[in-house]
Amino acid sequence: MPEVPQNAGYLVAAYVVTAVILLGYTFSLYRRSSKG
Amino acid sequence: MSLLHRGRWITLLGLALLAGVYVRALAFTPVERLQGPAQKIYYLHVPAAIWAETAMVLVGLGSIFYLFLKDRRLDRFAAASAEVGTVFAAIVLTTGPIWGKPIWGTWWTWDARLTSTLLLFFLYIGYLLLRGAVRDPALGARYAAVLGICGMCLVPFIHLSVYLFRTLHPQPIILKPSAPSLPGSMLATWLFSLGVFTLLYVGFVTQRYALSLLWEERNGA
Amino acid sequence: MAELLRQAWAVARKDLLLEFRTRTAIVSAVVFTALVLTVFNFGRDPTAVSALDLAPTILWVTFTFAAMLALNRAFQLELENQALEGLLVSPLSRTSLYWGKLLANLAFVAVVESVGLPLFVLFFNVPVGRVLLPLVAVIALATVGFVAVGTLFSALVIRTRFAELLLVVLLLPFLVPPLIGAVQVTARLLGDRPLSEAVGYLKLLAAYDIVFVSLASFLFRFTVDE
Repeated sequence: MPEVPQNAGYLVAAYVVTAVILLGYTFSLYRRSSKG
Repeated sequence: MSLLHRGRWITLLGLALLAGVYVRALAFTPVERLQGPAQKIYYLHVPAAIWAETAMVLVGLGSIFYLFLKDRRLDRFAAASAEVGTVFAAIVLTTGPIWGKPIWGTWWTWDARLTSTLLLFFLYIGYLLLRGAVRDPALGARYAAVLGICGMCLVPFIHLSVYLFRTLHPQPIILKPSAPSLPGSMLATWLFSLGVFTLLYVGFVTQRYALSLLWEERNGA
Repeated sequence: MAELLRQAWAVARKDLLLEFRTRTAIVSAVVFTALVLTVFNFGRDPTAVSALDLAPTILWVTFTFAAMLALNRAFQLELENQALEGLLVSPLSRTSLYWGKLLANLAFVAVVESVGLPLFVLFFNVPVGRVLLPLVAVIALATVGFVAVGTLFSALVIRTRFAELLLVVLLLPFLVPPLIGAVQVTARLLGDRPLSEAVGYLKLLAAYDIVFVSLASFLFRFTVDE
């Protein structure tokens, strides 16, 4: 049986990027609704 | 509870459950043999893609009803759905290449989903730019609605043209991407993620809608 | 219906008369097309890539640029002389206004393409004789699609600040599906392949035209009504 590819680094990168985008947007909404 | 606060709570709940998706996907879902751990990117990539596109359809529907019913609420909803759809499209366009590199060997492949989402992303950007470029809010709402309807009608053509292009131009691949039918545990994770993205869409749209109301109050509209 | 056509023709005639009296726009567009084709020639290595491989792409990028130029001209005319207000106050129906604009834009682009195609054949030594009629048909199909959506969008951007830029940004996603169809059919025609291979793309082009011409002509009233 062929070996399972070792690409966990990409997995982590993708999960981190997604979290950053979602949290970033959450923060953007919060900032825009709190101003003034 | 005001709309804004309700939106914030829904979003927070969504984010908390997202953490749950992360844990389940990373620690409690089996690794796919052929693709390795990177296959798990699918659990975020595909639900985001589904909502990126659904958001555009909803922009279109909101726009149609706005043009005929002239109800400002529909316009606010369309604007909100467009912004949120852009965010989800951005997730697809970033996770896609990150998945593509280990699986296909290149950062970008003109595969059906990535290409469609790229075009969708450009549609969204155009829509947001148009909204920002028209000073009069009533005029802007009407123009955006026209664009939104056209955008929604373009989606099937994007799919058709990309499908035709791909079926007649197969790409060389290193590993075949996983088939749509997922075994039990993987399917559960995928469904869980889809549910969370749905919740996030609702939370984000609610907040963005409330933001429109806030801006209108502030400008005395 | 006859009234619609009559009004549309009146609008188109006005635009076309204006264009052909001054002739600057049409000449610029033709010169531009020739220049683009020239640049493409220097952009490739003739020993490495055959003209036939790149031909469809070159042709369609050139035509897309030409269509964009035409559309930018269209509402500029109105804006410059505040003629738009005059048109709206007149008893013309909004739909015939759209059709008039569409016809005028199509005529403009058609002239540019009629010069562009022979130039393209000349510069790149592409044999089109046998497939001229189907080729012209494909060019017509795709052009109608571009210009139908572009005419509508011109009305959307006319009062915005960076109108020309915004028009391009809004229009490009809408150009991709017909462009894919046009390039693929052109490639098959020039490569002497049977048309049956391109049937899917032809249906795509036809469906796109039907849907977007109807949609644009219907939605146009919302761009110019108060």
